[in-house]
Amino acid sequence: MRQELAEFGAAAVRLVFALALAGAALPARAQALCEKSQIRLVNSMREITQPYHVNLNKGGRMFARWAGLEDNYVLQLNQGDSDKQIALMRSILATNPKCTVFNVEPNADVVMKPMVDTADRTGAWIVTHWVLNRALHPFEGHDHWIAHVAVNSQAVGVAVSEQLVAAMGGKGGIVALQGRLDTDPAQKRFAGLKAVLAKHPGVTLLAEQPANWDRRAAFPIMQAWLAKYGDRIRGVWAANDDMALGALEALRAAGLAGRIPVVGVDGIPEAIAAIDRGEMTATVSSDAFYQGSIGLAMGTCVLTGQAPPPQTWAKERREFFLRVVVITKDNAAHHAKEPAVDAYAGEWRCDNLWSRATGPAF
Amino acid sequence: MSGGVAAVLGGLRTSGPLLALLALTVGFALADSGFATLANLRIILDSAAVPLVLAVGMTFVIRQGSIDLSIEGLMAACSLVFALAVANDRTQFDLGWLGLPVAAAVGAVFGLANGLIVTRLRVPSFMATLGLGSIGLGVAMLLSGDQPPLVRDTPLRQWALGQTFGVPNLALAAAACLAGGFFVEQFTRLGRYSYVVGGAESVARVSGINVDFYKVVVFAFAGLMAGLAAAMESARLGLGHVEIGAGQMLGTITAVVIGGTSLSGGSGSVLGSAVGVLALTVLANGMVFVGAPPHLEKAIQGAIVLVAAVLAGWHVRDRLRIVK
Repeated sequence: MRQELAEFGAAAVRLVFALALAGAALPARAQALCEKSQIRLVNSMREITQPYHVNLNKGGRMFARWAGLEDNYVLQLNQGDSDKQIALMRSILATNPKCTVFNVEPNADVVMKPMVDTADRTGAWIVTHWVLNRALHPFEGHDHWIAHVAVNSQAVGVAVSEQLVAAMGGKGGIVALQGRLDTDPAQKRFAGLKAVLAKHPGVTLLAEQPANWDRRAAFPIMQAWLAKYGDRIRGVWAANDDMALGALEALRAAGLAGRIPVVGVDGIPEAIAAIDRGEMTATVSSDAFYQGSIGLAMGTCVLTGQAPPPQTWAKERREFFLRVVVITKDNAAHHAKEPAVDAYAGEWRCDNLWSRATGPAF
Repeated sequence: MSGGVAAVLGGLRTSGPLLALLALTVGFALADSGFATLANLRIILDSAAVPLVLAVGMTFVIRQGSIDLSIEGLMAACSLVFALAVANDRTQFDLGWLGLPVAAAVGAVFGLANGLIVTRLRVPSFMATLGLGSIGLGVAMLLSGDQPPLVRDTPLRQWALGQTFGVPNLALAAAACLAGGFFVEQFTRLGRYSYVVGGAESVARVSGINVDFYKVVVFAFAGLMAGLAAAMESARLGLGHVEIGAGQMLGTITAVVIGGTSLSGGSGSVLGSAVGVLALTVLANGMVFVGAPPHLEKAIQGAIVLVAAVLAGWHVRDRLRIVK
């Protein structure tokens, strides 16, 4: 009798063990980590005076409204100051850290590690964009770093440079306005230009100069180049639309607006309008509305339990390249309209968060 | 120090800014043949226009012994007001040319506030203007909101980007401000009294000069200039921009110091500041010509300020006991 009882007990223990293992192996439906009303959505970006960032914020707000969390949306602006970006994150985490989701546009490559460490330490959740840090990966023990949405800035640079070279007929001199050179997008986009120039020996790079992503800085530089190189300039390359638009105004002052191809990156409404008018040739959009909202969507899905915890996600879902679109005269009109929520609702669904991934970024 | 050396150094002090400007111009002309052309001269004048307008206002403030650190915020607020007041893509206003005096008036009101806080509340100008500048920046951000307003007033834009008889229009406007400033400085009571206030304020008070009144007027004037400069830059770039004044504060003060105006007040002239502005503009333009990295420009600017400040105080350095 005692032996049967023992066997029964052992079998019962094994059964319970097996069930427990099975339960742990079951994916999907996880525990809700926060009350929905407790979830705080934070969009951390440089500033809000450039249209790219305006749309980042708009995208974030669109998502917050759609998710019923509009009152829990916070915007953090660091005005180009990396220390401030980190400090702002830490100060808001003084309360409710475990239910806070950060969607971050890093001011410079150096802020990534401190912000990820802060999330790990406080239990907050973070999704980062843009910067590609070869030494840092979400799946290497950073359970609160949900994902990194990288943009293949070199591919972007190549795409937009090829548009410029094509518009120039493959011959002539170009001038290049670079972005802040301590950021990955600035370096990689320029590398993309160099790669395209290597394949088109008829096009020469006359001069390059950083203009801080700012049209105000680009204007006098372009003016000086026009004085120095005159007719030799047959194309203008800018690492972002704001600088391209500044160069365009300098061209306008010289009576050359629309006569010399100009390219930029970001896909801001003003640039799209300029492309439509024929004053700019091309831009590349990573879709600021999407970038401003997808991190918040991922975080909300994890916190409400509609998506499993990030440590169970596949690696390529935690660090992937974002699909970009080249905007030229052909599709400018289509992209000029401000998007409605329906355009993104499908991509904010918790089972469809990776719809714009084009491949692993590691 | 022997009389001869003192005389030479004294002469250098007054012609120092001019010598610096000449040296830079000759240097860059030798370095790149494209630099010394009529086309580039036009561009230098165009680039110098906005800083010159700012420097005229700042010269008065520094001459009277104060400092104005609010111009970046003031420019931001006035730029937004200007862009929203003329034909734009956000509001229904279409004030056209009136936009310029409106922006200048907004700047003057901010300047007035600066002056009142300094004289009535006895807050040092350093702090008062810093605070008001931040307020201006905040106002600008509120006005800018979701999208920086784009200026759609074609005549205004064409004016700002265009030339008259081969001279850029903005340069002509700046020259007018310079002439006006020079007139006020040399031929009006405001100019001469604020000079005394800067040199020896206690003496001015004891002599019965209404020091507070003139201080407030000078701050308002500087604000007016900042507003006008903001409108000019906005018309040129085509939008109202919160960052429109970014970097201008340090550049303006540098130009004024290089031009021979002592930071402790009581000396200097708008003409010297004009030379200082030209020197800095030539420096920036020349560096693009020779392809020098832009961060070098800031370093060289700093070096020029130091040299200018040393030269300015050289003849009295033995007598100066207190250096703050």
